Order: sequence, then structure tokens, then C-alpha cells
Amino acid sequence: MPELDIVSVRKSYRSPTGENLLALADFSLKIGGGRFVTVVGPSGCGKTTLLRMAAGLVPTDVGEIRLDGARLTGPSPKMSMVFQGIGLMPWKTVAGNVTLGIQLQAHRHKLADKELGLVNSTLELVGLKGFEHYYPHQLSGGMQQRVGLARALVRQPEILLMDEPFGALDAQTRAVLQDELLSLWGRVNSTVLFITHDLDEAIYLSDLVVIMSRRPGRIKQVLEVKLPQPRYRYDARAEPEFARLRSIAWQSIKEEL
Amino acid sequence: MTEISNMLPGTPPKNGKSAVAVIGGNQYLVGAVSIVVFLAVWQLVSMNVPPIILPAPAKVLVAFVQLTASGELIRATGQTVWPFAVGLVIAFIVGTSVGLVLGIFRPAARVLDPYIFVFWSIPNIAWLPLFIAWFGVGNLTLVIFVFVSAVFPQLLTVEAGAKEADSFLVEVARSLGGTKREILRLVVLPSALPYIFAGLRIAVGRALVGIIVGQLLIVATGIGYMFQFYGETLSLAKYFAPLIVIAALAVLLNRGVNWAERVLIPWKQRAFV
Repeated sequence: MPELDIVSVRKSYRSPTGENLLALADFSLKIGGGRFVTVVGPSGCGKTTLLRMAAGLVPTDVGEIRLDGARLTGPSPKMSMVFQGIGLMPWKTVAGNVTLGIQLQAHRHKLADKELGLVNSTLELVGLKGFEHYYPHQLSGGMQQRVGLARALVRQPEILLMDEPFGALDAQTRAVLQDELLSLWGRVNSTVLFITHDLDEAIYLSDLVVIMSRRPGRIKQVLEVKLPQPRYRYDARAEPEFARLRSIAWQSIKEEL
Repeated sequence: MTEISNMLPGTPPKNGKSAVAVIGGNQYLVGAVSIVVFLAVWQLVSMNVPPIILPAPAKVLVAFVQLTASGELIRATGQTVWPFAVGLVIAFIVGTSVGLVLGIFRPAARVLDPYIFVFWSIPNIAWLPLFIAWFGVGNLTLVIFVFVSAVFPQLLTVEAGAKEADSFLVEVARSLGGTKREILRLVVLPSALPYIFAGLRIAVGRALVGIIVGQLLIVATGIGYMFQFYGETLSLAKYFAPLIVIAALAVLLNRGVNWAERVLIPWKQRAFV
């Protein structure tokens, strides 16, 4: 089973005024087993820094990230990342953007028939059938993030890293995409590391909610969400257990604001 | 330009095609009315000033036909278009490739940018006497002058475009596993493409100025010389013929650049037209 192991990571960066800011201090987290893990915390607590390190985009100062036991030195083909800003190439169509996920994974321009089939089935999976030839600017924000999701999923990642992917969307679109994400996750077997500052979103989606302290970010509390999956099958948000967890999490976060 | 973005091949129609057609129809009407009004005003003014100041439109038309029939205008156009085209094409190729290289390899830019900036800042007319001394009086000097006029706007615009490749998109490509070379090809170059056209638009204008000035001042051929000759001999009706040719050439080239841009950059948003 795939496993992403964040081991005693420490990271600081230089602020615009020249100070040394400690973003994360001695942060450890192990995820895997196809679980859905969400990290929540006050803004500026180092969530995004954590995810960028996990993706191999920035190095750690101290400590290391291990993917399936091997030290991570850069982005890995076993992982995909979904960004809040989506980051679609404006000059590529929907299909072209999704194809890019494989092209940069395999370092090949031309796709094999099997891979082309994968692009098509992924487009269908996220509800983009019929939009293959659209350019990103012709799509709504929700549709654009579907493309972002498809570009990540087409790589059949062991680990899916998601950095507030629905943060820029309106409430209805966000709810729809949350349900679709749960449904997709049920089918693809990926382990998910999800970042958000939205407690409801965290509890609704995850098996495990990791609450971070304010900067420098440390793990403050870990909540296990035992509501049965898939949660879109019933009104999970109306369950007493949901309210209980929400209240605990909110108490915990409030102390950090 | 507004209506065209909705009619691109492969672009799913958005909305209001019929409204666009109505505006299009009105635009033809507006255009026709505006031409009639323009000619009427021209006629009125020419009737009230000596012909040496402004000839009547009909006289200009006659002169245009005469100059065309005699072959003079066509020969002059040829003499102008060739050195113009050669100089512009070389400027486009050199400006685009050097601009890309400088935009991508920062150390090279740090060394060369100051020189380029100084050369770009010198009014290009100041080069002419030097070019004549170096290359003589002939088409070579013309081509080089057109080249120097057009290469800097092309180079600097493309360089800026390559430098400004969206750093977020670069990070996204990196997260997907893209190597430096792949990121260059798949992110940096495509994002610089619109700048290549922006540069070309400026380069075309500067090259046109270059060829006219060059022919006026150096070789005494082509359209530029016609301006000089008919200007000095005060044959104003004939003076307007090369003016019309140059205007047509300029409009044609700008339309051509716009068309190429639409075909090659179908993703470009036209939110502000």
C-alpha cells in the first residue's frame, strides 16, 4: 500500500521584511492505505507549505518526506497535485490539459492508445464529456476545477495532494464537487492529503482530520471521522456525530486564531 | 474584432450570434456613410483652397490611374516592398529568437540588455549617415535600415513575454513532473506567443517608417522617392497616389497580423475589445 511519510519536518522562510519566519516546526504525519486525510488550521499556519513540500516542490530545511520508504527529492509520478488556482494552460483545450498530466509523467509527447483511452475515461469520470475541445476561459470555475481534477487523476496517482481545491468556488458548486470527489475517491483507490480551512468540508470529506496550531505549525489534534462513507448517500452533515466533531474541531481551532 | 472571437473555427458558440450580425450590418452602413462624408468634406475644402494646397478627390483619382497605367506607381511599389519585406522578415526572425533566448537565459540578458537598451534608445534616423558610409547607397543599406528599425521592438517585446511566463503555471508543470526542457516548450514558449504578435505589430509600423525615410533620404527610388519628387514639384494630385499605396499596405499588414494571431492563438481572451 502506498505511504507518504512526513518525518520531523521543519521549514522556515524569509519574510519580505527580512525576518526569518518558522512556518513548520517538527511536523510528522504518516498517511496511506487509501485514506482521506485533511489538514485544517488557521491561515498562515503552514498548511500550503506542508503540501508543497509533500509534493516535492520545495525542499525541507530539516527532516524528510518519504514516499513508499524512499526519500522524496522532487515531484514524483506516483503523486498528483490539485491547486486552488487550478493552473490550467490557457492555450490547451480541456483534453490537452488532461493529456499534459500523462505527458509530463511519462516524458513523452505522443500517448499510447491505452493512455488516450485513459484520458477519455477520466474526462467522462469527472463529467467533462463533450467539453474536450473547449478552452479553459470558456468554462466556469467549477468546470475548470473538474479539468484540474482530471489532470491529476489521469496519472492514476497513489497519493492525491489537494490544496484548497474548492476554495475559490461558490457554495453550491463546492458542495457538488465535494460529493463528486468522494465518489471519485471511492473508485480510484488513491490516498488523499487535502488542505482546507473549512471545517465542514474537512469533516464531511475525511477519514482523519488533522488540526494544526498557529505558526509555527504543529499537529494540535487529530480527529477520526467514523461516519460511514460515501457520505453523499445520506445527509451526513445532519448527523449528531458530525455536529459533535464540528464543535470539537471549532473549539480547537478557535484557540489558535 | 469583437465579432470574430465568437466565430472562430472550433470555438463553441457562446451567445448572441444574431446580435453580432446586426452590429456587423450596421458597421457596413456606418463605414459607407463615413466614406461619403469624408469625400464630401474633402471636396468642399478643395473647392475653397488653391489646388496647390489640396487637390480635389477626382483629380487625385485621375492621377492615381495615370500613375498606375504608366507603370510608375507599380514599379515604385515593387522597389519599396522588397527591401521592406526582406528587412522586416529578418528583423522578425532575429528579434523573436534573440528575444526568446534572452528571456529564458537570464545571465545572457544581464550582459546584453544594457547594450540593447542603448541601441533601442538611439533614434534610428541617426544611423543613416553611418549606414551609407558603411554599406553605400543601395538596397543593402535600405534593408539594414529597415532591419534596425524593426528588430528592437520585436526583440524587447518577445524578451518581456518570455520573462513573464506565469510562475504559477511553471510550478504546476513542475508538480506534474515536467523537466526544464519540457517546461520551456510547454509553458514558456506558448505564453510568449502573444508577445510575438504584439512585437510584430510595432515592428511593422517602424519598418514602414524605416523604408519611407530610407528611400526619401538615401536611394531615391520607390514610394519614398515619389513623396519627395511630387512634394518638391508641388504635384499634389500625384503625391496622394503613393500615400494611398502606403496606407493600403499598412492596413493590409495590420489585418494580416491580426488574422495570423487569431488563427495561431485561439485561446486568447478578448475581454477588453
